[in-house]
Amino acid sequence: MRSFRHLRYRLRAILRRDAIDRELDDELAAWIAALTARYERRGWTRGAARTRALADLGRLERVRDDMRSAQPTRQLEGFMQDLKYAWRSLVRTPAFTLAVILTFALGIGANTAIFSVVNAMLIAPLPYQDSSQLVFVWSDMTAAGYPRAPLSAPELTDLRTRSTRFAGFGAIWANTTTLTDRGEPEQLRIGLVTSDFFGVLGASAAIGRTFQSSDDTDGPGILLSWPLFQRRFGGDRSIVGTRIQANGQSVTVIGIMPADFRLLMPTDAAVPDDLQAWQLLRAAGLARAPRGQQYLRVVGRMKPGVPLAAARADVTSIAAAISREFVEYGADGRQFTVVGLQADGVREIRPALLALFAGVGLLLVVACVNVTNLLLARAAARDQETGLRLTLGAGRWRLARQCLAEGLVVAALGAAAGMFVGWLGLRGLLLLRPAGLQRLGLAHVDTTVLAFTCAAACFWGLACSLAPLRSLLRTNVLQVLRRDGQRVARVLHRRTRASLAVLQVALGVVLLVGAGLMVRTVVNIQRIDPGFTADGILTFRLSVPFSRYRSREAANAFGQQFRETLAATPGVSGVGAISHLPYDDVPNWGGQYVVAPDADRTKAPNADYRVVTPGFFEEVGATLIEGRFIAVEDVASAAPVVVVDDLLARRAWPGQSALGRSLIVDPGSSGVPTVPVTVVGVVRHLRLRSLVEDLTEQVYFSAEQVPRNPLAYVVKTTGDPAALVGPIRAELARLDPLTPIYDVRPFSTYVREAAAGRRFTMTLAACFAGVATLLASVGVYGVMAYSVTRRRREFGVRLALGAMPRQVAGAVLGEGAVLAAIGIAIGVVGARAAAQALRHQFFGVTPSDPLTYALVIPALGLVLILACWLPARRATSGTPMDALNDA
Amino acid sequence: MPKAPTAEMLKGTLDLMVLRTLELQPLHGIAIADRIHQVTKGTFDVGPGSLFPALHRLEREGWIDGEWRMSDEGRRTRAYTLTASGRRQLAIEKKNWARIVAAVGQVLDLA
Repeated sequence: MRSFRHLRYRLRAILRRDAIDRELDDELAAWIAALTARYERRGWTRGAARTRALADLGRLERVRDDMRSAQPTRQLEGFMQDLKYAWRSLVRTPAFTLAVILTFALGIGANTAIFSVVNAMLIAPLPYQDSSQLVFVWSDMTAAGYPRAPLSAPELTDLRTRSTRFAGFGAIWANTTTLTDRGEPEQLRIGLVTSDFFGVLGASAAIGRTFQSSDDTDGPGILLSWPLFQRRFGGDRSIVGTRIQANGQSVTVIGIMPADFRLLMPTDAAVPDDLQAWQLLRAAGLARAPRGQQYLRVVGRMKPGVPLAAARADVTSIAAAISREFVEYGADGRQFTVVGLQADGVREIRPALLALFAGVGLLLVVACVNVTNLLLARAAARDQETGLRLTLGAGRWRLARQCLAEGLVVAALGAAAGMFVGWLGLRGLLLLRPAGLQRLGLAHVDTTVLAFTCAAACFWGLACSLAPLRSLLRTNVLQVLRRDGQRVARVLHRRTRASLAVLQVALGVVLLVGAGLMVRTVVNIQRIDPGFTADGILTFRLSVPFSRYRSREAANAFGQQFRETLAATPGVSGVGAISHLPYDDVPNWGGQYVVAPDADRTKAPNADYRVVTPGFFEEVGATLIEGRFIAVEDVASAAPVVVVDDLLARRAWPGQSALGRSLIVDPGSSGVPTVPVTVVGVVRHLRLRSLVEDLTEQVYFSAEQVPRNPLAYVVKTTGDPAALVGPIRAELARLDPLTPIYDVRPFSTYVREAAAGRRFTMTLAACFAGVATLLASVGVYGVMAYSVTRRRREFGVRLALGAMPRQVAGAVLGEGAVLAAIGIAIGVVGARAAAQALRHQFFGVTPSDPLTYALVIPALGLVLILACWLPARRATSGTPMDALNDA
Repeated sequence: MPKAPTAEMLKGTLDLMVLRTLELQPLHGIAIADRIHQVTKGTFDVGPGSLFPALHRLEREGWIDGEWRMSDEGRRTRAYTLTASGRRQLAIEKKNWARIVAAVGQVLDLA
């Protein structure tokens, strides 16, 4: 009963505040009336009675105020009032408010955008069941130039049968297949997987099922991706269980993967995330594969509760055991590397991302320093008002509350605006997204991101309001009221603000140097001569259907005919083909080579293998060093020949000609080099695998002697490459209507994408640096402008006493220059430390690159001088009298 | 002449006296002050400035209930009634008071 009454009272107090006020007034009036009446009865005149009654009641206003503040809801209402007051005072100064909110929005927005990326890539778990238990297994062949190589089928079996810490191992290998069912023939990117692959990964089908062990012996099945299911089969669920034609074979559709399923393997595993279907690597086939044939990308699932270190030890001991048991491994043996699937996927981007996150955090600090500066300036302007209010008896706590309220209003507005800026920024980032960063596509503003933004805004809102608060609590009433006493508080403000400006300049230097080094890196990468030119070339892939061209002769004849047809197409000036395009996602192909037949084959060096058709080297502008390119006479029936790159030639036959030399290689990927070939030419190394780090020797076979499927065609055009797509498709349809071309793209896009990751980092770094410079100069401008305003009287006196305006301006500039110099000095130290930590991100430039520093520092200095110049000019504007009167 | 205790000093006492006064009959504010003045033979002269906030405090606690009525003189006044929880509170405060009186008495006897 009581609590109910209590509640009712409170509710009434909140909802019907006016009514309660009226009641209070009514009651007071009733008291006054009653008392007046009483005094009148005692013989007082009406006026005197009323005066007496009022006196009895004491100070009427105070009584009422006491009663009001006694109500518990009044505390809350008081704060609401503070918020309203803060809002009103912000609205009164729109320029100030806009500056504060924009600064905040910029800082918070940039953080929101980058944090959503960090969240998607580093924090959020992979979208698989218990994904923290998933690992990726690499074969460590660092000695041969492949620190991260795939595994062979027998090795997969070894892991499965000997491991004790794993629930299972699955493997995948990306390939292609031709879909000839319904409509146009189409080349699909498919993943060939072991029957337990999806089980190990912890992913299940949306419709139907994924593979199971019985599929190893049953008829062939195919698992479709959601986009393919929608596009090719119109989302018709009855397709599951029926048969379709793939690679000339009838296969059963066993299931459809969910729309949001992504295969997020490490970038260099050569497993694209947009595979369109999956088929089985049959157990029987795997059992027959040789130990040296490494093509399986192996994913393992640790048993629950097993730590990564234990799993590593498990796999390491297996590697040691098989190294002893199998002679194929030779003296060096076999090493496996076990890495967490999540960590490995972001291995390369992680440092850059964390650096960006740190950079954007610095940006937020710079932004908040500006906001703090603005609030400080405001607090200084209000010293007088504050002192007055303190003298009139306002509690310090109440004034502090007002400061906090202002900080909160600013933070809330900034957070709202920042959220919008962040959303825009994220969309921009996704547009810039380099193809390698598959997981970036998953970035979006979710609750984690929202929570982060709100926390950041609240924290900085409070931090910003604390600075004025500190000086408020120190304000000495008497000092403030005596005008000259203002100096104490103001000197304090000024020192704080000056050191904040120094901090801003320092952070600006760090970000600018970082951006400068990134720009130099990208420029250096663009200057790398890859050994070929990609301009004016159209590329596409074509897979010869061996099911219909069963003999090698028939397939070669088809290829030859197709190339001739292409060459005859109007607008085409030359045609060639190669097994791998530069920087594409086709699994690398390579093997060992030996020079002498009696050499130790287990220690033979490795080379990348490629097959090319006549015309390829010519069309991409490769440089012939000696001998000849692969030519039309290198047919299947002729003696097997190869072209090697200059790296291999120098290493195998230093100082001698490579022509006519014999080389023993392993094009069949048996694991042991057994095939003798003759070197007919040496070509300058082509950077095919990576623009930056590709320095593995190369062996080029003739496509007719070593068949590979599919081949990537390069078509040199005289006009616009895109205009040729239609005619080429038409010519092919005349030749073979069942064979599709796919991956139709200009050659140059492959090259552009190879540098995309670093260009992405550079663009972001440049944006941050630009914003930081802007904020730092605004900060310095703020400090100087404030200093000039404060010293107007002094300047006036100096001008009146005959100082030249130039001298006065010089004094102001000098003050600014000191700030800038200290900031730059601190910044240089910080920048060197930061660049040292990030040196792996740079290419062809040292962390202490003199050119970068020599360009960045004067540029920043110039901007800062400009920021000081405006206040300096104001210091000398007007007559000395104006200044003296003003002050 | 000994100083009359002020209401400020005896905040708890004021509550107690108001509750006790209302236990007998519902009264409006000035009548409560008059009654206390009368019963204590002038020892306590509760001014409206103290009584008014006290009444509101007690009402908020739910111990008394205010209601607008017409007085005998035909004026609108707010009359206060003791509630059930107010009655319980009064009992508690009476006991407390007795304890305080006894304790203070002992101290005085001792001296």
